[in-house]
Amino acid sequence: MVVLNKKAFRLPRLEKDKFVLLMRLGLQYDRANGTFCVNSYNNIEKVIDTLGEILNDKNVGFMQSCLICGKDFPCLECRYYEICETKNLPFKCICGRCLEEGKTIGE
Amino acid sequence: MSENLLWVEKYRPKKVANVVGNDEAKAAFIDWFKSKRRTKKAVLLYGPPGVGKTTLVNAAANEFGFTVIEMNASDTRSEKAVRAVAAPATSFVALDTFYKESKGNILFMDEVDGIAGNEDRGGVSALLKIVENARVPVIMAANDPDLQKLRPLKKVCALVRFQQVRIPLIIATLRKICQKEGVEAEFEALEKIAQNSRGDVRSAINDLQSLAETEKTLTLQDTMILSARNKDVGMDEVLREYFSAKSLEEASLLLFRSSVEYDNFIMAVGDNLPLRYTDPVELAEAYDFVSQADMFRGRIGTEHWHLLRYFFNDLARAAAVSPQSYKPFTLISPPIRVITLFWTKGKRTTLEKICGKIGQRCHVSRQTAKEDFVPFLKVMLEKQKALPVASWLELAPEEVEFLKKMSKF
Amino acid sequence: MAVNEETLMWVEKYRPKNLNEVVDLKDVVESLKAFMRNPKTMPHLLFAGIPGTGKTTLALCIARELFGPNWKTFTLELNASDERGIDTVRERVKDFSRYSRAAFGNVPFALIILDESDQMTGPAQTALRRIMETSSRTSRFILICNYSGKIIEPIQSRCAVFRFSKLDPKAMVEHLKFIAEKENVTLSPEAAERIVDYAEGDLRHAINALQTAAVYKDGVIDEKTVQNVVGEVSGVKVQVMINKALSGSFIDARKKMYELMGEYGFSGSEIVRQMQRELFKMSFVTPEQKAELSNIIGEYDYRLTQGANSDIQLSALLAQFGKVGKTQGENQ
Repeated sequence: MVVLNKKAFRLPRLEKDKFVLLMRLGLQYDRANGTFCVNSYNNIEKVIDTLGEILNDKNVGFMQSCLICGKDFPCLECRYYEICETKNLPFKCICGRCLEEGKTIGE
Repeated sequence: MSENLLWVEKYRPKKVANVVGNDEAKAAFIDWFKSKRRTKKAVLLYGPPGVGKTTLVNAAANEFGFTVIEMNASDTRSEKAVRAVAAPATSFVALDTFYKESKGNILFMDEVDGIAGNEDRGGVSALLKIVENARVPVIMAANDPDLQKLRPLKKVCALVRFQQVRIPLIIATLRKICQKEGVEAEFEALEKIAQNSRGDVRSAINDLQSLAETEKTLTLQDTMILSARNKDVGMDEVLREYFSAKSLEEASLLLFRSSVEYDNFIMAVGDNLPLRYTDPVELAEAYDFVSQADMFRGRIGTEHWHLLRYFFNDLARAAAVSPQSYKPFTLISPPIRVITLFWTKGKRTTLEKICGKIGQRCHVSRQTAKEDFVPFLKVMLEKQKALPVASWLELAPEEVEFLKKMSKF
Repeated sequence: MAVNEETLMWVEKYRPKNLNEVVDLKDVVESLKAFMRNPKTMPHLLFAGIPGTGKTTLALCIARELFGPNWKTFTLELNASDERGIDTVRERVKDFSRYSRAAFGNVPFALIILDESDQMTGPAQTALRRIMETSSRTSRFILICNYSGKIIEPIQSRCAVFRFSKLDPKAMVEHLKFIAEKENVTLSPEAAERIVDYAEGDLRHAINALQTAAVYKDGVIDEKTVQNVVGEVSGVKVQVMINKALSGSFIDARKKMYELMGEYGFSGSEIVRQMQRELFKMSFVTPEQKAELSNIIGEYDYRLTQGANSDIQLSALLAQFGKVGKTQGENQ
């Protein structure tokens, strides 16, 4: 399982067509740092599939960031992992600790 | 249940930041909304129901000072539509926001996948025309954007996808509402509601309200009824959309496309109709249609399925009697059928036997015995334990007991 | 009858056995007596009128008059609603005719009493007419119905028609007092009036109500007791349901409907039938309103046979009442 940081992640050297495909699917490339990040989330599942091909790993996922405490955490830590329909997708969430502590999302 | 204030209404976010879930989609939409030079004049928000598309549009308009002109799928070719979009930004003002200061209008069309679905092929081109001619931002929402017919539309719109809202976010939302409503809820209960909602915040809040509003407490046990309703999760959603349908076409489309179980659905419609229509004349009209739908159902039986479209047509008419009188209400669901549970075949046979005996002795038919004798006999037996008449009628002891128990229903 | 006379339903116990004892039907009885004197001249008879006015009683009296103490051997009693169809009726008539061929004294026929004949469909009645014809040598029919208009013309023309009207309230009160005395029950005059009021010309209802009231309070019947008894009986509950529907309280009306279905196991058609009956009795509904509402009931009576869901059809019916109630209220 590969877990990428949605804010900036690196990939191995890409062929042109794969690069173009990723751009079309919604990624953005930072030339200065050589990193990718997610720009549009509309085709996110296809993005993951393509990344899986590139990285030669069937299970590609993204780190989540907590809306309340701001920390990054992987979906695997979450107690709802099995039933979550959007697991491993790079969306904002609430980490287990904040949920347990009963914090609410800002006022 | 309080029919006055639904929590989904009471706690509907009025600020963008408070719309829960789909932060990424929110950001994309706001980007589009605020941009000074839009590449695409229209935006299409798409995704499952109850995740915040409409809420977001209204919150954004509210926060940034715009007026939302909402338009029906069937209005698109009407005068109203032509005026609304062709006119300059501020000249067409929706009546209900007449008094509010507004930076301008935005046009909002919900459930555009409804237009694409009906027989009228002109629907999508009318939409395109609106987008083309619009001098105000056009926002559209859809549940299912993969319809073939929506392709031309997708070319001219910016697309923003909404996803199911995640469980922890729903739990947090429910928790906040519980705090505000003074409800003491077990974590496991909120968890259960969130899990059951399948990402639909609206239905989660409705479930919370129906389970917790009266008692102001909520245990995991209370939520068990949700599991029993799991099969009907789809049904509840369809029912809500059915009752709030803004036009005959909308209702028709919904019924044709949904895969709910017909018999349960029409019963649920029958149960809830008086909550939808509080005016007796509208109620009568709507019920007339439901009654006709039921007659078609009777004719269909188990084989004449070609008549199903008439069943749906009449049901759709029932929903569309007066779209303007719609006020949100809490669904009665699942349909309660205690009576059929109580009056089993065995019980009916017993009653029939009793009526036969009465008929024999009193020279009346079983039918007359049931209508004219049993009600009196029932009262007599309740008052006296061993009624001599019962033995004259040759009623067996269990038959006497049966008559006595009838009133305990 | 039963060995112990004390244990009967009073409607049976005090049912007149003799043409002379019959309550308030002098004209009818006189005409019938003419036929009794010469049975060979007796035609088929059609008794028409609202329930509880003495039709069955009279038919049974005729049987007794014609055949004496063993009248049951020469009499077949049928109810249209009990039989599954005209074919079963034909079978039973055939079987009966076979076994009662032996005439009794100077009565050259046996008696077939067919109640609820207006509940038979047109085609069923046509078949009935043929049955009447083929068995006319050996049988005479006494057809009993509520609405003679529902009996097809070919049958009516073959019968002597007798109409039974609402019983005179005074006569009913007298009869109730008579029974009360025999049963050692204290019945206040107001209570007797109340019962007769409630019964609306149906003596059977009145006597059942009387007997129930007597049991209610151990032999002392006052107005309050009558009120309690009457309130607990389904007919009144149907009236309450109708009232609520007319006044636009749909959800309450429907609740009452569920109570009726739950408490008594009434089917959709049974409730509709009772609605038709109770509507007729409701005094503050104008005749015009009754006509309109009655038509609506008729429409939904039909729909019940076609539809799949009696809940829905009955609810729709109640809703139509709400509309009538509202629009008529606005017109006033």
